[in-house]
Amino acid sequence: MRHDNTGTANVSGLDRILAPAARPLGAVGRVAENVAQHAGQMGLLLWGIVSATARGKVSMREIMNQMYWMGVGSLPIVLVVATLIGIVTSQQGGYQFTGSVPLYVMGSVVVSSIVLELGPVMTAVMLIGRVGARITAEFGTMQVSEQIDAMHSLGRDPVRVLAAPRVIAGIIVVPVLVGIANTVGIFAGAFAAQATLGLGIESFFYGARLYWHSWDMFYSLMKGMTFGFVIPFVAVHMGFRTRGGAEGVGRATTSSVMFMTLSILILDATFPTLLLQ
Amino acid sequence: MVEYQDLYKTFDAPVLAGVSLTVQTGETLAVLGPSGTGKSVLLKTTIGLIQPDGGDVLIDGESVFHSGARGLERIRRKVGYVFQNAALFDSMPVLENVAEGIEEDELKRLRRSELVDRVADALEHVNLDPSAVLSKLPSELSGGMRKRVGLARAIVARPEILLYDEPVTGLDPMNSAVVHDLIARLADELGVTSIIVTHDIEGALGISDHVALLERGHIRFVGTPLEFRESDDPIVGGFLGRVVEPETVNELETV
Repeated sequence: MRHDNTGTANVSGLDRILAPAARPLGAVGRVAENVAQHAGQMGLLLWGIVSATARGKVSMREIMNQMYWMGVGSLPIVLVVATLIGIVTSQQGGYQFTGSVPLYVMGSVVVSSIVLELGPVMTAVMLIGRVGARITAEFGTMQVSEQIDAMHSLGRDPVRVLAAPRVIAGIIVVPVLVGIANTVGIFAGAFAAQATLGLGIESFFYGARLYWHSWDMFYSLMKGMTFGFVIPFVAVHMGFRTRGGAEGVGRATTSSVMFMTLSILILDATFPTLLLQ
Repeated sequence: MVEYQDLYKTFDAPVLAGVSLTVQTGETLAVLGPSGTGKSVLLKTTIGLIQPDGGDVLIDGESVFHSGARGLERIRRKVGYVFQNAALFDSMPVLENVAEGIEEDELKRLRRSELVDRVADALEHVNLDPSAVLSKLPSELSGGMRKRVGLARAIVARPEILLYDEPVTGLDPMNSAVVHDLIARLADELGVTSIIVTHDIEGALGISDHVALLERGHIRFVGTPLEFRESDDPIVGGFLGRVVEPETVNELETV
């Protein structure tokens, strides 16, 4: 079959030359489209939550339910993790400082590490697994089983009824959990230092007070509040955009956990620049 | 009256390609068609659950897509939607599920006893014993009962229009007959306009005033059940189980 001098042959020849360059461009285009879609949907979700809250249309009872579930329900795991990070920080500090600097400095190291970083971040990581993944799985299932459509058809706005109470509850509850985690972590660190290094509780807190800034606690709670917004917000967003049955719910939940973790770590990295200058 | 005006919708491929259809007030219309031809999409556009790429839907002359949020809310209040798998809220017992069908402001005004009476009345309309199901969760009900609870939720607010998405799919013949009887009875007793998307042709023909056949995004046939049965259109014939020409089979298989 001869293709010489035909338009078809020329076009397919051109296609062959351009195909390797077009493929990565196509991939970039798809990623850009995906990012734009996420941004647009998150913008609309945020607007829906803000406007429902501003109009006083969010059920107070549902906010309280969510606060109880997120707060009281998460307390045991947060307490366990806070105790462990207090013990680990204290022991590793002891390993580094013994014989080089006065041991009471460790009080400052443990308190600063927990308040500025480990308390908020470890609490957030626990909540991603316990709260965020569950919200995405629940809303994703509601999406694929048409329960979200049913809400629309019944005149109930899912953003107002489902999303807003969870996000508001997160903003209120997570800083409280972070405060509790900080306190428990510090005391666990102090007791661990006493038990393993022989550093008295009073010396530990003497060291802690030497380098303490009240701003640090505000910084820690601000982190908690931001994470408390991000976790349910991303979880709700990923749940609402779930498609494709049980497999889709699984995929959405995995992506949601990754998205939440990445968001928390990126925000965590920007916090010092914004608030610790 | 429900008017579909030149509706277009494309997902990966065109699903609706210029669908125009009118359903008169009080009429029961069955929408038939091969799987994947956009019947459920058509039904979802009726109350704005899916945004079409082009065209509009008018309900009693009011545009679903150009009436703003309040207009859409007003339109949705006129319509009851029965979902394919009932779409009951998993975490709520039947009482709360059906109560969700009542408009929010009205729901706040109702006393508990009034609410229970109202829900019980809707359940009795769909042949369910309220005392046996009110406190049950959807997971504790059979498929047929779930469908009927979904129906009760759709009628509890006394809508003017009822949309049924595959109301008998997954049900045994006896339960299918019960649901079809219910649809016919609700249309008679409540005087509602009904649009039924279904694969159960014989059941649908028995309770419909008109039948529309959706095929490859177009309305291929509209007429009475009698006209449908007597049509010499090969695709209609195929749906009625007549022997069809090989090229017609090929046409259907490519859908």
